[in-house]
Amino acid sequence: MEKQITSSDSKNVLLKMEGICKDFPGVKALDNVSLTVRAGTVHALMGENGAGKSTLMKCLFGVYNKDSGHIYLEGKEINFKTSKEALENGVAMVHQELNQALKRNVMDNMWLGRFPKISKWCPLTSEKKMYDATKEVFEELEVHVDPKMVMSKMPVSQRQMVEIAKAVSFHSKVIVFDEPTSSLTEEEVEHLFRIINMLRDRGCGIIYISHKMEEILRISDDVTIMRDGQWVATRPAKELTMNEIIRLMVGRELTNRYPEKDNKAGETILQVKNLTAQYSQLKNVSFEAKAGEVLGVAGLDGSGRTELLENIFGIATRKEGEIYLHGKQVMNRNARESLANKFAMLTEERRATGIFGILDIQANTTISSLPKYKKGMLLNDKLLSESTEWGIKAMRTKTPSQKTQIRSLSGGNQQKVILARWLLTEPEVLLLDEPTRGIDVGAKYEIYQLILDLAKQGKTVIMVSSEMPELLGVCDRILVMSGGRLSGEVSTKETSQEEIMTLAAKYA
Amino acid sequence: MDDLNQEIKQQTPPLRGLYSKVNISVKTLNIIIVVLVGLLIVCMAVGISKGGFRVTFDAQGGTTVEMQKRMYGELIEAPEPPTREGFVFDGWYLDPGAAIPWDLEEDTVTESITLYAGWKEK
Amino acid sequence: MAENKFKAKEQAFKELSSKDKTKKIIDLLLNNAMYIIIVLAVIYISIKVPAFIKLPSIVNVISLTAAKLPIALGIGGCIVLTGTDISAGRVVGLTACISASLLTTTFKVFPSMTSAPPIIVVLLLVVVVGGLVGLVNGFSVAKFKLHPFIVTLSTQLIVYGIILMYLMNGTNNGQTLSGLTEGYRSLITGTLFSIPTATGSVAVPKYVLYSIILVILMWVIWNKTTFGKNMFAVGSNEEAANVSGVNVSKTIMMVFVLAGMMYAITGFLDGARIASANANTGLNYECDAIAACVIGGVSFVGGIGRISGIVVGVLLLQIIFAGLNFLAVDANMLYIIKGLIILIACAIDMRKYLVKK
Repeated sequence: MEKQITSSDSKNVLLKMEGICKDFPGVKALDNVSLTVRAGTVHALMGENGAGKSTLMKCLFGVYNKDSGHIYLEGKEINFKTSKEALENGVAMVHQELNQALKRNVMDNMWLGRFPKISKWCPLTSEKKMYDATKEVFEELEVHVDPKMVMSKMPVSQRQMVEIAKAVSFHSKVIVFDEPTSSLTEEEVEHLFRIINMLRDRGCGIIYISHKMEEILRISDDVTIMRDGQWVATRPAKELTMNEIIRLMVGRELTNRYPEKDNKAGETILQVKNLTAQYSQLKNVSFEAKAGEVLGVAGLDGSGRTELLENIFGIATRKEGEIYLHGKQVMNRNARESLANKFAMLTEERRATGIFGILDIQANTTISSLPKYKKGMLLNDKLLSESTEWGIKAMRTKTPSQKTQIRSLSGGNQQKVILARWLLTEPEVLLLDEPTRGIDVGAKYEIYQLILDLAKQGKTVIMVSSEMPELLGVCDRILVMSGGRLSGEVSTKETSQEEIMTLAAKYA
Repeated sequence: MDDLNQEIKQQTPPLRGLYSKVNISVKTLNIIIVVLVGLLIVCMAVGISKGGFRVTFDAQGGTTVEMQKRMYGELIEAPEPPTREGFVFDGWYLDPGAAIPWDLEEDTVTESITLYAGWKEK
Repeated sequence: MAENKFKAKEQAFKELSSKDKTKKIIDLLLNNAMYIIIVLAVIYISIKVPAFIKLPSIVNVISLTAAKLPIALGIGGCIVLTGTDISAGRVVGLTACISASLLTTTFKVFPSMTSAPPIIVVLLLVVVVGGLVGLVNGFSVAKFKLHPFIVTLSTQLIVYGIILMYLMNGTNNGQTLSGLTEGYRSLITGTLFSIPTATGSVAVPKYVLYSIILVILMWVIWNKTTFGKNMFAVGSNEEAANVSGVNVSKTIMMVFVLAGMMYAITGFLDGARIASANANTGLNYECDAIAACVIGGVSFVGGIGRISGIVVGVLLLQIIFAGLNFLAVDANMLYIIKGLIILIACAIDMRKYLVKK
């Protein structure tokens, strides 16, 4: 193990977590982990899912009680009981999954729980004060959002900005960003980085949790890497390379981030003509896809990528347009019809529309293909467990048993279970919406491998992703969406990130 | 395998969405449960100490008959038959329509009841 | 094997610090508070009234459990869908009244009739009626996305109105229906088998058998059919179920229809069991059934529940009420006790699935 770097001047230390241990019955979730964040720096916290990053942060915010260890904020020992207490003491967190009152407007969310009063004597909430204060913070952060806008009408990226603004409005000294860019487009990421840099220059300490190596190397000053609940290394970002980080994270060398592409595109089997959505901006999209091909869909957030897949799969209302599979028109009016027509779709929001959290792996795997396991009138247990076993083996899902609740698995393993669910329906066209979101590096590689294997078996895979390198690494062709329209189609071999970005901005 | 299951179960915080709108801490909930359990025990104790089913008699126009208190499985003490001008009393019934008769020597009390007098015209 | 596991658990428990130990014990006590109270109450009652644990009383409790089981099995499905059904008791009342009015020797409701129709026809008729009410409930829940509470509240009132009007029909004039045919009564309450005792013999009624058949049927439906698996999926995550190709509306409707049928069977059994039916038959049955389900671990969280849990829940509830009845506790106080039991059961259920810190 490497020696922890000691900051040149210890006065500068803002947050110090020392020897944090946390045991869950039978598992050491955190084993003597230390983290030192200096004022005016961005400290990246890295590690595979399950390495203990979130547990460490939960100990900081009092969500969990740490078993031993000390936490010092500006030299004073602290022990928060609730995240509210943490917030009041200048420690804020921008969550990966946003907890916001979607039906309320922006400023209500900003000032929730501490609405400004008109005056000391009049305990009514002052809309004006709230508006002005919100506006002020937004201007500071260059966020162009109307404070009176209702949250549910805004894209995820803007909602995230509101969350950041909220943290800033508390005058937080330490701000934790938990995978802030997983739902942002490149442009929005740039904006986020400008904000982070500004906060850093103000002397805030930023803890930045992410899986995206490029980002980490760009923005952070120090990097702490964790593995299996243990502290592995803390080093200045300048001294690290991507491969070095991966080596430290997984404990082995990952030579290639993408598996070798050996799928061969065959005949055209899917044709989509003039697809227009009833309730979203998707307009006039036509394309073709071949058997054994991985077709990527790129575009900014809100460009209609997800809507495209939803319209093909029939879970969003189509206004006009035709879909042909093997030259025969298919209607796909709802998920059941699409399923019967050999389509399958992995949705973007795994938690909301993917998993059945409290049900076990078996139920989660077999739900879409239940009629297959019928013997007479009833379902056959043996067939059910055989198929589930196949799913676990084929996807290399890490699970103690078939009867484990799916919510206890990590994101990557949950995704594999859902993939297995769809593969059991024997689809010809697989629609994958952000298949690797929130999944750690090692598991991502496995998902890529699975996607390519499927293509090799002659299935058509259509994959939406906001990570450009991923599309370039896995796909054969890439469709670029912009403002609800198809703005271009490029071959992966002959294109660059720049070209795709230009196309993506065409109608935006 | 089960133990591993158990471990995983304990590690993972429960899903959001399971009682997502419940805004109460486990500690408060504990107190509430204890208080409610206490209340339940008190209610049971009060109920038991005041035990006894009321048997009321509805003479349906005849002279009034006094109510009785009986324990579970006891017979009703035969009351003085009520009288009514122009009618003859023909026993006690469970319903006002005099359809389900109550046999004072056989039927035992299992709940609070009202018995209705049955009348025959002279 | 089981012993090993127990030992391992004991070992793990010993290794915990004393603080964790007390925490674990408190957890255990609170999560099982309901069972503990019931066990204590039963012990107290059996000391005070020894007849309570004698055979006749036990058979009585089992018979009562059997009578209340079908309705709980029906409501269980609605709770798995995170819903509820408060029209259940009234449907029981309606179907009991229909059964009692047709399978009778007096024909007060239909004076023009002279002989009772075949029993099986009446059974099918009430099942269809129950199913129809369930369909109305299910359709409104599935298609209008109304909360089941509101939907079933309105059907409850409508069904009650229908019962009252039905009882005013013919020459009945709203009175209690009785005078049931011998065939109907003996089919339901006839002796399944008798257990000889010192002072005579205790008869187990036939409807216990029917309840057992229904339990097996429901277990198969819940665990071995596509519909059952879909029901749990919809209860657990409706959105995901829709994307996964589950016909969500159909599943919801079927759950409510099935529940309606179960209430109808309860009503059919109850008519003969009580030997009469009136507008108050089935009143508040749904409260007992919901309480039984929650005690038996069917959670309002959705997607969680087992048939065995429901059986245990109904049994426990009947034991405690039979016991309190032995002590001649006033019916008015019983209402309060029932209400408290439902509250405690919900609080404990909540405690189990609340975010732990």
